[in-house]
Amino acid sequence: MKLSYYPGCVAKSTGIEYDISTRSVCKALGVELEEIIDWNCCGATHCSNETLAVGLSARVMARAENPIMTSCSICYSNLRIAALRLEDKHLRDRVNSLLDSPYSSADVRHVLEVIMESMDEDSVAVPLNGMKIAPYYGCLLTRPPGGLDSPENPQILERFITLLGGESVVHPCRMLCCGGPIFMSQEEASSRSAFQILRAAKSAGAEAVVTACPLCHLMLDAMQRSIESRYKEEIGLPVLYVTQLAGIALGLGLEELALDKNSVSPLALVEGINASVNI
Amino acid sequence: MSNRSDVLKLAGDELRCCIQCGSCSASCSTADLMDKSIRELVRLVLNDRCEEALDSRSIWLCTSCLLCTVRCPRGIRPKSLVAALRHIHEAEGRRNADSSLEDLFMGQVKDTGRVSEFYLSALYALHNPKATVQIMTMGLELIPKGKIDGEKSRILGIEELSRIFEGLEES
Amino acid sequence: MSTGVYICHCGLNIASVLDIEELVRFAEGLPNVAVARELQFSCSDVGQETIKEDIKEGKVDRVVVAACSPRLHEPTFRCVLQDAGLNPYLLEMANIREQCSWVHMEEPALATEKAKDLIRMAVAKAELLSPLEGELMPVSRNVLVIGGGVAGISAALELANAGLHVFLVERRPTIGGYMALLTDVFPTNDCSICVLAPKMTEVYNHPLITLYTYSEILNIDGSVGNFTVSGVRRARFVDAAKCKGCINDCAGACPVEVPNEYDFGIGKRKAIYMAIPQAVPLVACIDPQACIGCGLCEEACPADAVDYEQREMAFKFDVGAIIVATGWQPFDASRKEEYGFGRYRDVISSLQVERMLNAAGPTGGEIVRPSTGEIARSVSFLQCVGSRDATVGNLYCSRICCMASLKNAQLIKEKYPEMAISIHYIDMRAGGEGYEEFYQRAQRLGIEFIRGRVAEIEETDGEIYLHYEDTLLGEYRRRKCDMAVLSIGLEPDSGAEVVGNLLGLARRTDRFFEIAHPKMRPVEAHIDGVFIAGCASGPKEIQVSIAQGGAAASKALGLLMKGEISLDPTVAYVDRDACVGCKLCEGICPGKAISVNGTAFVDEAACKGCGTCAAACPTDAIHMRLFSDEQILAQVRAATAVKGEYPFIVAFLCNWCSYAGADLAGTSRIQYPTNARIIRVMCAGRVDPSFVMEALRLGADGVLIAGCRLGECHYVVGNDQALQRVKVLKGVLEKIGLSPGRVKIIWCAASEGEIFARELEAFVEELKELGPTGTEIPQARGG
Repeated sequence: MKLSYYPGCVAKSTGIEYDISTRSVCKALGVELEEIIDWNCCGATHCSNETLAVGLSARVMARAENPIMTSCSICYSNLRIAALRLEDKHLRDRVNSLLDSPYSSADVRHVLEVIMESMDEDSVAVPLNGMKIAPYYGCLLTRPPGGLDSPENPQILERFITLLGGESVVHPCRMLCCGGPIFMSQEEASSRSAFQILRAAKSAGAEAVVTACPLCHLMLDAMQRSIESRYKEEIGLPVLYVTQLAGIALGLGLEELALDKNSVSPLALVEGINASVNI
Repeated sequence: MSNRSDVLKLAGDELRCCIQCGSCSASCSTADLMDKSIRELVRLVLNDRCEEALDSRSIWLCTSCLLCTVRCPRGIRPKSLVAALRHIHEAEGRRNADSSLEDLFMGQVKDTGRVSEFYLSALYALHNPKATVQIMTMGLELIPKGKIDGEKSRILGIEELSRIFEGLEES
Repeated sequence: MSTGVYICHCGLNIASVLDIEELVRFAEGLPNVAVARELQFSCSDVGQETIKEDIKEGKVDRVVVAACSPRLHEPTFRCVLQDAGLNPYLLEMANIREQCSWVHMEEPALATEKAKDLIRMAVAKAELLSPLEGELMPVSRNVLVIGGGVAGISAALELANAGLHVFLVERRPTIGGYMALLTDVFPTNDCSICVLAPKMTEVYNHPLITLYTYSEILNIDGSVGNFTVSGVRRARFVDAAKCKGCINDCAGACPVEVPNEYDFGIGKRKAIYMAIPQAVPLVACIDPQACIGCGLCEEACPADAVDYEQREMAFKFDVGAIIVATGWQPFDASRKEEYGFGRYRDVISSLQVERMLNAAGPTGGEIVRPSTGEIARSVSFLQCVGSRDATVGNLYCSRICCMASLKNAQLIKEKYPEMAISIHYIDMRAGGEGYEEFYQRAQRLGIEFIRGRVAEIEETDGEIYLHYEDTLLGEYRRRKCDMAVLSIGLEPDSGAEVVGNLLGLARRTDRFFEIAHPKMRPVEAHIDGVFIAGCASGPKEIQVSIAQGGAAASKALGLLMKGEISLDPTVAYVDRDACVGCKLCEGICPGKAISVNGTAFVDEAACKGCGTCAAACPTDAIHMRLFSDEQILAQVRAATAVKGEYPFIVAFLCNWCSYAGADLAGTSRIQYPTNARIIRVMCAGRVDPSFVMEALRLGADGVLIAGCRLGECHYVVGNDQALQRVKVLKGVLEKIGLSPGRVKIIWCAASEGEIFARELEAFVEELKELGPTGTEIPQARGG
């Protein structure tokens, strides 16, 4: 399988471990990635001109030669919305009149989907040994409807965790928005959301949280220390990207998964798993 | 001054079909922080009281999570209403701390084609000194991990991108 | 020949857009027009009398009424002609309301020009009309009623009591429908089965009703007056003649338990079962999917009624009319995933609560919280689950749920005065005799009403919480309750699709069967001799379903009572001198009305007048008595006489779907370009390639042909044949150097006014790109 990879703007900075682990896991699974040449930003959640947002995504999609894979839920949602809106011939013509190469259609996939299609029990080299993991969907992974799973009761992360040999814990905040998009301007509101999510996962007995979006990760992982001090509550919950978790189960190394880049270190957890395998 | 029809043009004419059921506001994760619920924003716009909607802090509390839009039984996209109000806010030259993030973000995309979180954060802190502490905290967390990219370069297709911006500026 | 032209104001419906005086002046100048008048309301007594007087005074012998759609008032004006002593088929209508004033509201001048063309076309056709007489045909006086719910039962009893023989066919093992499963019913709160059971028994005992339960209809042939129906009665594996209905002996012995569909999954039944204690017929039934063949029921049965060898039985009978009372099915609440139905045990459906409240139901009438088995302390009703909801594709209001929840809330509150009960609504709808008072009664009982649609149900640690905004206070709430009842909407029964397809019934966009007129013909289908009653045509409460059953019965009675009906004379006939006996027509006739023995012969009773044979006949030997080649060609010529617009389009629309769709565009005030002149034909298959060529030859820039959606043709495959002809025609155009894009065929259902408008709009744009007709010829030759 050959896919056009759209890393998104955070791939070189706050989401660097997501980019690294995505490339490693895809390689291990025999999925060939070809980075879209000269891609641009999709506008994330900050483009209030929705037509312009479609234009930005259209440029990205028009540059892809294969089905597109993205690892960021926001990019994934934006590209899908744009593809839906570009079914309108009027808008498509208008956008195409501005593009170097015209957009015709696009098949947009999320890395989680690609992993679930390419992985089976046999490819799990290091089962997670019943590790308790809280699935965290966030908002845009499943929205708008029609994507990789239902927007109201998705199960793909639960199936993912089970496939890797982990135990998916049930908690009420798996789809509560992390507040990331308003972090800069409304820090209090977004910290509150992130805290709620972390606390729900923790009290459900989770040893780690798994997420499929770099912004969710930023809020739950990088912000965790600051949240702990703000709410005066210790959490200490490692937050792993789906690709990192998949990579651990595939037996990939720490560097291939950039596990040292996480703020709340998952290394102890990973050592525990590896130890259990070696026994 | 923008009126109802300007908003409807951007947010979609189906907004007229709102039955004020509250599915949107009850689905909103930041509803309790809002001075006007998303349902009330719809009502204000339909009553041609756009000024009050534009002044509401609510439009900057939206996280764009889309749950309102997934659930609306009338096929309305409340998220698009928020986008429309933000867009008009900007087009009318209004400025506040909330809107500056969007300005800076889209300004970067327009200039370089991509967003550098480093420059975005720095610029935002310059514009909004109050946010400096949280941004510094975040920076201290990320810099030692090598997760801040200080490189600033343009994409090659910047001309094409400018065309897109200019061509779609008037949505 | 002297034609009278009557131009209707339709109050302001026409007159506010079109220049009526101008139209009258114009009509006066047309050939053979003796009288041209304007009428305020042509369909009113005054309007009708004016036309009659002109006829009686000998001023006119052909009538053109320029008013609304012929689909609405053609029968009215035909009666006017008949009353005045003129053959009713000497009438032609120009549709200047649905096709002009309502769809070109912003273009009065162009609309008036288009109206002139339409009038000129009607006058041209009128000149060529000839008097027609319908033959009398004997009919069967039996009636088929499909569906044994309360609407079907009411219809069957009305008919049988009037002396007609009824075949009542029901899919389930008992009649009674959903009403038999309800507890007390609004607005009187009387026991549902207590009022229904006597009717069910009456059906069973009526000498003129033949009851087929547990049966399916497999085929329906023929037409009004003479339908032949065949089907099968499935095997119950219990001999109905021997079974005493004691049920406890056999079911008590049966070791297999499965969820009871008659309790909507909250109770259990055995593999041998009786749907309800009051089942009619009172005969047990073995569920072959569940039965393990252990033989215990056979041993236990004191009457020796169990018969594992029983086979399904075929049946066949003739009827003159059919009443479709196929009812509804509940919305599948698990589709609204945010409410957790099927995942959260304490979230149940309104039908499950009906069964709980039923003394004979699974909980013996107690409101039991499924997760704990204890009596609930608080119950919340969530309205509009699967209704008024675009996310599940059901835009309509299910009409009964507000009242049903008011009723169930009252019943619960009366039984458990301490229980906290809330109803979460968007709008309370209590329109009906005694309904608003019923609403007030619920308020006085202390039931809490909360305006705001519940957005989500959360389950945490075994407790459920509702998330909603109290929209009257503008406050967000998270409310705990022991049990949530989802008021599920009504959807058309999916099993009715078979019957719908066999009869060729049209469906609205809400998927319910469409009635002949949304207001004026509430129980008639589009097909002659077929009537629709109850929820088959949309959600209805019991009282309305009963009324409709009666209404449908009286319609069938009126049709069949005399024992004969007058046949539609607008059929095909063969010019035997011109016929070469090629049998092409025999093969394509959807009604199997043509037989060829040397030359072709048309059975006029079986012919439905679609005209696809006439379009196909290679020697033009088949003619239509109405919609003849000459009449249609005259319309084409009249349409293209002026061509006051560019691009100029001649459009052929089939009567049943696309013409009705264009009418709907009119009644919905959907605006579209003024460029097309519409010619009504019975079927898209009627369009002879020569009509198209004539239009193009006379300078039309494009020709549009519109038919029913593929697979939905009222003559089965007429639209397919039209499509084939258009394909050939496009090839011909290409050969002679014209763009094939000048002919366009589209599909449009009667419910798709919007689609018609948008397709026409698109065609206008396409033709603009092509340029005026003929401009491509030099290029074609040059290239």
